[in-house]
Amino acid sequence: MAKARDIPGIDGRMTFREAGREAVAVRAREVFEHAGGVLDTDDIERVHDMRVATRRLRAVLEVFEAAFDRAEHRAVLRDVKRLADALGARRDPDVQLAALEALARSMPEEDQPGLDVFAQRIRVDQAQGNLTLAAALQATKEHDLAGRVRALVAAPADADPERAA
Amino acid sequence: MKPRKVKHLDPDGLLADNVARIVSVRLDELCGFMPQAADPQEVTALHDLRIAAKRLRYVLELFAPSFGPYAATAAKKARKLQDLVGEIHDCDVTLPRVEALLAELRERDAAEVRQLAGDATDLDAALAAGAPHAASFRGLESLDIYLRARRDLLFERFLEQWHELERQGFRTRLEFALAERSSDPEDFTSRSHDGNGAVPTDDLASDAPA
Repeated sequence: MAKARDIPGIDGRMTFREAGREAVAVRAREVFEHAGGVLDTDDIERVHDMRVATRRLRAVLEVFEAAFDRAEHRAVLRDVKRLADALGARRDPDVQLAALEALARSMPEEDQPGLDVFAQRIRVDQAQGNLTLAAALQATKEHDLAGRVRALVAAPADADPERAA
Repeated sequence: MKPRKVKHLDPDGLLADNVARIVSVRLDELCGFMPQAADPQEVTALHDLRIAAKRLRYVLELFAPSFGPYAATAAKKARKLQDLVGEIHDCDVTLPRVEALLAELRERDAAEVRQLAGDATDLDAALAAGAPHAASFRGLESLDIYLRARRDLLFERFLEQWHELERQGFRTRLEFALAERSSDPEDFTSRSHDGNGAVPTDDLASDAPA
């Protein structure tokens, strides 16, 4: 699992808005750095790393919502959630299969055919999840999510203090 | 579950003031799901409690060093809670799938056995032994039992963990930690979620459902 980077320069003298820009910029870079090879089902850690990075980005987007232009933030967060869902659609079956295989090792021989049948179902989910993820990665490129996040953190915003975090 | 709104945030105000406000709301949100989530039938409330724990944990992991020492402890406790409830959630998601697969295979096998009987006046019991998935039912039933028993056990652990949090004064101590803000602005630093920050956990890397 890839470690998160430091978010440099954040200290108590910063405003909420300034800190939000720094945090989102760092976390967004981490997401796109982990995009390579995630569709490779032989190396399930790649998709895990990108999912973790996406969770971190989503977390800072939600925490710092009030620091950004409302419409731009909403659109970016929506696309990050979609990407996260697609990564989950691939990762969840990976994890379920690993757990089922571990369970199967402690179950008697007579139980194995039934566990195999369930494992086959999960493998179907895994293949479907890969298609879902491929489509989401394509959409991320087509909608230039990386560029929109850069614009979000660069844009001066006059956020409404009453809105939610 | 949508997060509860945090009112009176000031984007141009100090980071620490805003973060303290967010933590306070997230803490209240988490505690608000009890005692409803203590009912084992209240699956949705438990799921929402997990999401609330996750949101609290995220913001604490980002900024725990800026508050009193209990903030970092609270981040770890929120993570522990989230992980445990996530395991229960996995059982809640998997169990219906196993039941559905069992039901599907039973239907298919019954149809197949009926087909094998052809024009017989009654069904030969021996035909049932030759059902295509006869060998699979035992393993699926074992899996079903495993998931039910594990869910029950983990739920008991959840109740114990929550009562322990209450006994330790989790809420009060975190609220106190929010007030114990460092006077040195350099201390208000978000480093990373994992390892090189203040909270030595691998934070968001778990496979607990997001």
